Amino acid sequence: MKKPKIVAIDDEIDFIDMLKDYFELRGYEIEVTSKGVQGIELINNKKPDIVILDLKMPGISGEEVLKLLKSKQSKTKVIFVSAYDDAGKTRARMLDSGAYAYLDKPLNSLKELEDVINRAYSGEEA
Amino acid sequence: MFHFNIYAIPHLLASLLLFSLAIFVFVNNKTSPINKTFALLNICTVIWLFGYFVMFSATNSSVAKVCSKIIYVGVLFIPIVFYHFVISFLEIKNNGFLIRLNYVIGAIFTILLFTTNLITSGLYKYFWGFQTKVGSLHNIYLIFFFILFIRCFILLKKEEKKATSAQMFSKALRIKYIFWPFLISIIASTDFLSKYGIESYPIGFLFMSTFVSITTYAIVKHQLLEIEVIVKKTLVFAGLLASVFAMLVLPTLVIQEYIFGGTGTAGRLWGLAISGTIIILTVRRIENFLIDITDKFLFQKKYDYKELLKTFTDEVLTVLNIDILVNTTVDKLSKIMKIQSCGLLLLNKTKNSYELVASMGLDKEGRDISLGSDNTLASFLRKTKSYLSTKHQGKDSPLPKRIIEDMNKLKLALAIPLIIYDDMIGILTLGNKKSDEDYTQDDMDILLPLARTLSIAISNAIALDELSKTQAEAAQREKMAVIGTLSAGINHEICNPLGIARGQCEAFLLNIKDGLYKDKSMEELFDKAQKIMEKVIHETDRATAITKRLSSFAKPAKGVISDDVNIKDEVDEVLALVGYELKLDKIDIIKDIQEGLPFISGDKKQLQEVFFNLIRNAAQAIKEKGKIIIRAREDGGNVIIDIEDTGHGIPEDKLDQIFNPFYTTKDPGKGTGLGLFIVRQVVEKNLGRIFVKSKVNEGTTFTLEFPVAVRAKA
Repeated sequence: MKKPKIVAIDDEIDFIDMLKDYFELRGYEIEVTSKGVQGIELINNKKPDIVILDLKMPGISGEEVLKLLKSKQSKTKVIFVSAYDDAGKTRARMLDSGAYAYLDKPLNSLKELEDVINRAYSGEEA
Repeated sequence: MFHFNIYAIPHLLASLLLFSLAIFVFVNNKTSPINKTFALLNICTVIWLFGYFVMFSATNSSVAKVCSKIIYVGVLFIPIVFYHFVISFLEIKNNGFLIRLNYVIGAIFTILLFTTNLITSGLYKYFWGFQTKVGSLHNIYLIFFFILFIRCFILLKKEEKKATSAQMFSKALRIKYIFWPFLISIIASTDFLSKYGIESYPIGFLFMSTFVSITTYAIVKHQLLEIEVIVKKTLVFAGLLASVFAMLVLPTLVIQEYIFGGTGTAGRLWGLAISGTIIILTVRRIENFLIDITDKFLFQKKYDYKELLKTFTDEVLTVLNIDILVNTTVDKLSKIMKIQSCGLLLLNKTKNSYELVASMGLDKEGRDISLGSDNTLASFLRKTKSYLSTKHQGKDSPLPKRIIEDMNKLKLALAIPLIIYDDMIGILTLGNKKSDEDYTQDDMDILLPLARTLSIAISNAIALDELSKTQAEAAQREKMAVIGTLSAGINHEICNPLGIARGQCEAFLLNIKDGLYKDKSMEELFDKAQKIMEKVIHETDRATAITKRLSSFAKPAKGVISDDVNIKDEVDEVLALVGYELKLDKIDIIKDIQEGLPFISGDKKQLQEVFFNLIRNAAQAIKEKGKIIIRAREDGGNVIIDIEDTGHGIPEDKLDQIFNPFYTTKDPGKGTGLGLFIVRQVVEKNLGRIFVKSKVNEGTTFTLEFPVAVRAKA
C-alpha cells in the first residue's frame, strides 16, 4: 500500500522530531519544520497529501495555512494537532473551513494520529 | 562576767546574718575567687561585729580587752580583704604583688596589735558598754584604710565606665551593684569615732549588713534588678531599723535612769512598754518619710510629664503597625513613668475576650492571661468606663474576689479602659511605681487623655491591619483569576512535554510490536532506547519546571520577605510563565536590561507578581501585533524598570484613575479592576514607586523605581 506524503509544521521542535522519527521508520515520506514560512515553501514544493498543523504558531497561524490551501483548491488534507482550547469554538471553525480533523495536543497516542492520517489519505470521511 | 545588754543585740543579729551569707556565698561557688574573697571579707566583718556583741555584754574589763584585740584582727583585715575582693570582682590582673604587700602590712599591724599598745591601748566605758581606745599608731592604720578604699572607689568607677562604653551592660550593672553598697558601707567607718573618745553608739553594723546583702545578691544572682530599687529598699529598711532601735533604746534608758533610778527590771519593762507604743504609733510615718527622702534622691522625684507627652506624640501614637504600637506603648510607658510592670490587653472579637498583647515585668501567669468579656475585671471596666485603681477602690467598696485575682496576676495598681465609640477595645494596666508612690491626681490628669488618644491610635492601627489583610486576600484572588486566564498557555507548557514523553515511549513499543526493529542489532536497539530515555527525562523536566514555577507563583505572599533581588532573574522567571502566550499573540518581547545591574531589596515573589501583572496588562493592550519592551537600568541609587507596550494607550483623563481599586477598562469578565491597585500597593510595600505615561494609540509605559539594595552589587 502506498503511503501518504506528510508535511508537519509546529513550533515545538521536540514534537515534530518525534513525528519524523515515528513516521519515517514506518515508511512515510515526511518533512517537518518549526517555521511557518518555511512550511508554506515545503507545501508548495513537496505537494504533500497530508499537512499536520498547530493552530497558533509564531509567524503564521494554522488557520492562515488552511485558508491558503483551500484558496488554491488543493487536495491536501489538513489535520490540526493543537492544545488551543476555547470550548470547541475554534475546532468547529477549522472543521467548517475544511480541515479534515482536529486532534488535541497532547495526542492520546501516535497510533491514533497514524490512523487518522491513513483514513484521510484513503478518502474516508473523518 | 557577762550581762544581757540590749545594745549588743543588733551586732549579734548582724553578725549572724553576715555569717550565714558568708557560708551561702562560699557554698554557692567554692572555686570562684570572687566568692572566696567575699566570704573572707564577711568573716572579717563577723569577727568585728560578733566581737562587739561579746565586748558590749562584758562586765569585766580584762575580758573586754581580749575581745578588743580579737575584734581588731577583723577590723585590720577588712580594707585588705575588701581590696582583694574588688580586684577579683573586676578581674584585674597583675595586682598580685600589691595584694600580697597588703597582707604583709596587715600581718605587721596584727603583730603590733598583740605585742604593743600602739594600735589599741585600753578601753573606754560608754553607756552601751566597753569600747576600744585607739593607740598612737592607729592613725597610720586609718590612712592605710582610706587609701585602700579610695583606690577601690576609683577602680570601680573606672571599670564601670569601661564596661558601659564597651556595651557590656550586664557587667556595668554588676559593678554598679557593688559600687552603691560600697559607698553605703563607708558610713560604717563612723564606728571609729567612739574609739577616739566620742560617745556615739556604733551603727556600722547597719551599713555593713546592707553592703553584704546587696553584694551577695549581685554575686549569686545573674539577672539583676534595677540597682536604684534595691538600694532604696535597703536604705529604707536600714533607716527604719535604726529609728526603731533608737526609739526602743532611748525611752527605756531615760525611764530606767531618771524614774526608777538606774537599775531594776520594773524600769526596763516600763521603758519597753512605752517605747513599743511610740514605735507602733510612728513606724508607718517614719517609713513613708524615708521612702520620700530616698525617692527624692534616687528617682529625682517624678517622671517628666513633658517627656511622656513628647515621646507619645512623636514615637508612639504615630505608629501604624499594631504590633509595634502596643509594644512601644508598654515599653515607653514603663520606662518614663518608672513603673514595675505594664500590660496592654486588646479585645479579640472572635473569642470575645481581652488578651494580653504586650507586657513588661509580668511573670508567666500574667502573660498568659485572657479576660473573657464576662470576666468581672473586664466587665467592670466596660460598665464603669472609668479607671480602676487598687488604692481607691479597695477601701470604700470591696471588689469581688475574681477581680482581685486578675489584678494580682496582672500586677496592676491601675487599670485604664481604652474606649472608642462607647466600646472598650482594650485595657491598659499599670503596675506599681518603682518608687512605691501611689498614683496621684496629677498622674491621672495625664494618663487619662493619653489613654484616649492611645485608643484612637490602636483602633486606627487595627483597622489598617484588617484592611491590609482584606487587600492581601483580594490580591490573591486577583492572582488566581489571572492564572485562570493563563490556562491555555500553561496547558501547552505542561501537557505538551508529557505528550511528547508519552509519544516517544509509545513509538518505541509500537515499533517493537510491529517488528520494525527486527534487523537491528542489540547494540543499536540499546542505543535507541537510551536516546528515548534521555528525551523522556528532558520532557518531564520541562513539565516539572513549569509546574514548580506556577505553584510558587500561585502561593499567597506571606508579608514582605526582604531579599537581594536581581531584576533580570525575576523578569526571566515571569517571561517563562507568560512568554509563550505572548509569542503566540504575535507580541515581540524586547529585553534591554543593563549588565551588572545592582540588586534591589525586596520580596522576590511580590516583585514577580508586579512584573506579571504589568506584562499581562501590556499584552492585553495590544490588539494585533505589537511589542513589549522591558528596560532596566541604574540611575542615581535607584533601579529603574520600564515596561513599555505599543498598545492602545490610556486616555489622559483616565490616567489618574487606573490605580484606583475596581477601575477597569477591560471588557466585563476580563479583569477585576484590582490589578494595578494591587501592583501599586505591592510596589510601595517593597519601598518602590510606580509611574505611568501613556498616549492613546501609541502605547503605555509603566516605570518602576526601587532603591538599590545596600548590601551587594550583582
